[in-house]
Amino acid sequence: MVSSSPAVPTFAIVGHPNRGKSSVVATLSQNDSIAIAMEPGTTRTSDTYPLKVDGEVLYNLVDTPGFQRPRKVLAWLEAHSASASDRPDTVRAFYLQHRDDPQFHDECELLRPIIEGQAGIIYVVDGSVPYSPGNEAEMTILQWTGRPSLALINAIGSDDHGTAWEKALGQYFRIVRRFNAVTAPFSQHLGLLRGFGQLEPRWEGLLNTATTHLERQRQQQHQAAAELIMHAMNEMMQLQVSGTMSDDDNRNAARQRLQQRWLDAQRKRESQLRQAIEALYQHHRIQRHEQDLEWQDGDLFSQRSRAAWGVSRTYLATAGFGAGALGGVGIDALTFGTSLGAGALVGGVLGAAGSYFYADRLGKWSFGPLLGGLQSMRYGPVADLQFAYVILGRALNHWYHISHRNHAGRDPMRLEQAESHWLEQLSKDKRRELQSLLQRLSKGITDGRRHVHWVQMISAAMDAFEQWRQSESMPEAAY
Amino acid sequence: MSKSPVTLLLAFDDQVRRDQNQSALFLHRRDRRYALDCHAQQQKPSLAGWLNHITPHRPETLQPDARIKRWQRLSRLLLPVGALLGVVTMLGLLFYDGSQQINVTVIIGFVALQGLLALLTTLQALFGWRPWGRLLTPGRGTDRPTTALDGLQPQLAACTAHQTALVFTLAGLLTLLAMIVVQDLAFGWSTTLRTSAESYGALIHGLATPWQALWPAAVPSMALIEQTQFFRLGDPRIAEPARYGDWWPFVCMLWLTYAVLPRLLLTLFARLHLRTQARRQLLRHPGRQSLLYRFDAPTVETASSPSTDPAMPHQPENQFHSLPASRDLIRWGGVAHDTDEPLTLMERDNSRLFDAGGTASLAHDQAVLNELAEREGPVILLARAWEPPTGELADFIQEARRSRSRDRLLALVPIGGEQPLTPASPRQLAQWQRFVERQKDANLWICQLPTPDREARQHG
Repeated sequence: MVSSSPAVPTFAIVGHPNRGKSSVVATLSQNDSIAIAMEPGTTRTSDTYPLKVDGEVLYNLVDTPGFQRPRKVLAWLEAHSASASDRPDTVRAFYLQHRDDPQFHDECELLRPIIEGQAGIIYVVDGSVPYSPGNEAEMTILQWTGRPSLALINAIGSDDHGTAWEKALGQYFRIVRRFNAVTAPFSQHLGLLRGFGQLEPRWEGLLNTATTHLERQRQQQHQAAAELIMHAMNEMMQLQVSGTMSDDDNRNAARQRLQQRWLDAQRKRESQLRQAIEALYQHHRIQRHEQDLEWQDGDLFSQRSRAAWGVSRTYLATAGFGAGALGGVGIDALTFGTSLGAGALVGGVLGAAGSYFYADRLGKWSFGPLLGGLQSMRYGPVADLQFAYVILGRALNHWYHISHRNHAGRDPMRLEQAESHWLEQLSKDKRRELQSLLQRLSKGITDGRRHVHWVQMISAAMDAFEQWRQSESMPEAAY
Repeated sequence: MSKSPVTLLLAFDDQVRRDQNQSALFLHRRDRRYALDCHAQQQKPSLAGWLNHITPHRPETLQPDARIKRWQRLSRLLLPVGALLGVVTMLGLLFYDGSQQINVTVIIGFVALQGLLALLTTLQALFGWRPWGRLLTPGRGTDRPTTALDGLQPQLAACTAHQTALVFTLAGLLTLLAMIVVQDLAFGWSTTLRTSAESYGALIHGLATPWQALWPAAVPSMALIEQTQFFRLGDPRIAEPARYGDWWPFVCMLWLTYAVLPRLLLTLFARLHLRTQARRQLLRHPGRQSLLYRFDAPTVETASSPSTDPAMPHQPENQFHSLPASRDLIRWGGVAHDTDEPLTLMERDNSRLFDAGGTASLAHDQAVLNELAEREGPVILLARAWEPPTGELADFIQEARRSRSRDRLLALVPIGGEQPLTPASPRQLAQWQRFVERQKDANLWICQLPTPDREARQHG
């Protein structure tokens, strides 16, 4: 447990086993390594997750084991209390007497931050299961501690029994709030933390400071993500691979080998970008469980990716002017026959298996002179601007999911196709600017002077993508 | 003495490149720490100080970067080449076989060419135009990443070019002086254009303006200009051959003023421009904004360092048993309290329903156990599958064992829904299976809720 002065607000997240206590801590502490999926009732110790600003702890969240024997504890308390005024002392006495007793290990462990650390109590219940009066013993014990408390209705399943819970919890807790640890947006995290600050007047200032820092960190993550995307796009657009080919080599085979290297390098770079974005938002588990949480958005070069994120030839020629000439499946139908993706509708089927590549037309080929029976050849950089839109669309999509994914989330991420294109959220001027940026990237013009402007452009694209995702209100099972 | 801006830029660029593989949190912590240390010492965080801070093992040196040294070595190699070319060129310009005078117009033209080249070199450095770049850096354009050095190449090249040209002009001037001393040089002027001596004189006097006050002798008189005009065919106008040599002060000053001095000034300017350009690139460097942000913004750490993943619970080994025929059923924690459905799980004769756990008191639980101790046969314990088994249930089972025979069968049936009774999901059942395993009780069975078909068969 992190040692901190009593002045630091500490919140013990307590409740019955398997009510989502750890999910709440994981989401609020942005730590996806908290043992959420473990066997219920086997969390045996209280773990502290501090929020540190420049090394100074602003508050602590304590994940605790669930109540195992609340009726026995309450029976002991009732047997040893003379009046309502001695209840906090009686709870303390229970803790002091039983902290070495294996039978009450879990109760003592959850009472420890409350008794020793003067923690505020956050009582978590699962609003997706019916209210059970069996929890009343727990709530009574917590009431007896005399510490400020708040009840939180989490929802682990899909059913909603929140109203019944609200009524029941209202009898024991002054503040009752609903919070879905898996789906709550970031603004709700901050609102909840500010709500914690209302438990004691002296905590309010610190919690407000903490949420201001968290908000600023969020903005910085947005900016840093834009930089990472910009950097990766620049490298991917400029990627070149070179090799040599001898007279004896099969010319086509040698070209295919070189092209394959280029494709692999592009995929690798995209994967690096994804890992960097995930690390930025502190999603470490996704990296460790790549197999479990495999992205379902297909291969970088699949027709599916092109159909989802690409734009038509018409749009490329008239960026910003072309009405409705954006990419996507619907757009390909409009520009049927003129775009590479004319077969998007068919390609969607092919692309599901990731077997259809349009990479053949992506890069520039250049061949050196034949010297001593060897000829040098080079593939890249990207010749088709379409690919820039695909990279950008995929990068924005990944960023959006990661930045909106709570750290309690464990479900695989899903990608749904949309009929509209995210570019529609950008103004004509912005679309033109974006096109100009992508053109410059494809020409390898990396101008430090314009770097800040470009990052702002990517940042604007991220905002537009966010708006688009939210306006689409697509079925997001994971959120 | 501070590091040269060029060295600083390259070192910073390298560091930013190295940092690309580091986590954002680490970078923020590291750089914020440096900024806080600076504030504590009442110093302003600087890029040079930051570089020293993060690479303390690297001794601070004022030596330029190795890549800059390569340019410097190239420049040094070109110095003797420039000097040699200067000597040869001047000897060429002053070539005099006695048949004809040395044409001052040619020298003026050559100096003008020098000026034009100097101007072009400076302009290409100013505009960063580098058409010959691929020749000097053949690796460019392949797998090699772009570095900050690439942006400085035009300025570095201009420095080298001006420096070489300066040596060239100095060597030319020295050669000119030497030739004046050791040879009798006959200068004259000539042009195919039908130019009068007056207009040529105006040009010469215009050119000589910068030094006419300093050295009047180096400004040719109109008489000399008129007398030293020569034609390929025709007799020389001059009667006194020594006058041909009177041009030398003008030629020397022309060369010094329009070839040597501009190159000297442009060499200094190129060096200054290189430093300015490096400073500007440093200011515009993409990594600088991020670094300054990391200096200013407090680090926010919301989590302890990522721990290892929790061990996944093992797959339960306990097999499900069929529900034994029983006359006693305990509803644990208020499960199915408002329905008689549990009765269908028992034999019809002499069956009893008991309630324990949940809101019931411990004394009530004990009373249930006492009552059960007086009855015989297997007991069914019905529980909510979604409520994890708690220590209270384990205590209840142990208490039951203490008060009753260990051999008596206890069938634990977790249910997935109460009205009507529905079977639990495999995921819900797994935690109950593991719970039963932990009890180490051979007569504690885990049973699934019979499906209606099976039930019908049982009763049929």
